Amino acid sequence: MGRFAEVFLGILTAVGGFVEIGELTFTLTAGSTFGYGLLWTTVLGTVGIILYCEMAGRIAAVKHRPVFSLIRERTGLTAAFVTLIASTVVNVLTCAAEVGGVALVWQLLSGWPYRLLVIGGFLFFVLVIWWMKFEWIERVFGLGGLLMLVYVVTALYDGPTWSDIASGLVPRQPENASPHQLAVYWYYAVAIMSSIMLPYETYFYASGAIEDHWKPGDIGLNRVIVMVGFSLGAVLSVALVSLGAEFFQPRHVEPQLPGTAALSAAIAFGSVGLYAALLGMFFAFAGAAIETALSSAYNIAQFLGWPWGKYRRPREAGRFTLTWFVVFLVCAAIILTGVDPVRIVEYSIVFSVIVLPFTYLPVLVVAADRRIMGAHANGIAMNVLGWAFLVVITVAALAAIPLFLLTHGGQG
Amino acid sequence: MRKSLDLGREVLDHEIVDVDGVSCGMVDDLEFEDAPGGAPTVANLIVGPIAWSARTPALAAWLVRRVVRTPVVRVPWSAVAHVGETIQLRVTAQSLGLGKADRRVERWLSRIPGA
Repeated sequence: MGRFAEVFLGILTAVGGFVEIGELTFTLTAGSTFGYGLLWTTVLGTVGIILYCEMAGRIAAVKHRPVFSLIRERTGLTAAFVTLIASTVVNVLTCAAEVGGVALVWQLLSGWPYRLLVIGGFLFFVLVIWWMKFEWIERVFGLGGLLMLVYVVTALYDGPTWSDIASGLVPRQPENASPHQLAVYWYYAVAIMSSIMLPYETYFYASGAIEDHWKPGDIGLNRVIVMVGFSLGAVLSVALVSLGAEFFQPRHVEPQLPGTAALSAAIAFGSVGLYAALLGMFFAFAGAAIETALSSAYNIAQFLGWPWGKYRRPREAGRFTLTWFVVFLVCAAIILTGVDPVRIVEYSIVFSVIVLPFTYLPVLVVAADRRIMGAHANGIAMNVLGWAFLVVITVAALAAIPLFLLTHGGQG
Repeated sequence: MRKSLDLGREVLDHEIVDVDGVSCGMVDDLEFEDAPGGAPTVANLIVGPIAWSARTPALAAWLVRRVVRTPVVRVPWSAVAHVGETIQLRVTAQSLGLGKADRRVERWLSRIPGA
């Protein structure tokens, strides 16, 4: 494949894989609650995911070392073990939410019973990972996820108030708000950043670079994909905040369910809009489900030194294969209990942000180390940005649980 | 091999790869032996969850021991070919008794089409 095609495909995949059920829920609800007041968090979160995926991808290309192997080496064994358990819990919770989201979307498309569709989803995911090559999984779900761009078209079609968008890009607390409303505002600020930077994205991105056999010559490709791909993905997040602010807020609708989200496209573009939104959400949620399940298996295998990877045949990485299968089994079981996927999303997003500093610190330390990375180590600007961002995310991690408890999970 | 090696940073908690390029565990602990009239030398790399769990706080160690029963495997230092980002062995994992669990799972998975 030509170089240009590879870059183009990489970018499209990054855009299509940017949004999952947690981000959809939180950006829409934030928009419908605070208008454009939280728009800046989407930009901040996107800067963070670009910085850290670039570093993790660069380490993978130069040294072929995945993230969890760095965590174990650099944070000390005990901290690494705790991070492994915490990240596995949030990966599984996120995966369960996505599996539930896929079943909800299928239910809207088919009208079949929800629980039957959850079991169908479980079989679908297991068969897809078992049979499909890694690059085709990336392409099919990444490109299918581009249908989510219907939300961008819908937001533009409604004619957004550009001056409000511009002012939303500047962090500013709402005026005349009660202490409780302020707490809710900051809860959503932390949640949106967390949903954009979910830890599995970094694990999956770096492990995926190793699956795709990246070499030091690919660090340019890596840089373009994260910068252009994730920035375009952020346009989708901005569009979702905009739809929340301009479509759902005036109608007093809380757009938490995927079906409600699809309404905006349906009202603008009729059944074409509705199908594009539903199929886009299917590909986006399904892609995230596969990525979170594989990430759980990547992390455990990398911590324990098992052979791992989709580029190996399933039997050649036996314990890795068994792990992602068990993850889907657990996720399907969680959803079959009837718990609301949107509730699971809230927990997974809040706990994800706590895992982030432990994930990012070793990535930053290794990417900055000249003895390991040689000429490909971070420059000064990257180090300054990296450390500044680590401070931001650590503050967010410390605030996450108090804000969650204080606001009862963002209840206005 | 190089003149000096930081065992804590460059060996401990690094991945072990056998002569065929197959990952076969991490350096979970190190075993030293007394050299006559000199400083102790590394005798074995120890591989297995029981080994690394002993380096974690008591609660974590207890939890791991409840789940894992497999004994640790000792890899003699003489089997190490190269210390880089990973620890490369000059022999196969199988000859040292590493990766047994994977081979067990492999036999089981082989019966499924597409494996």
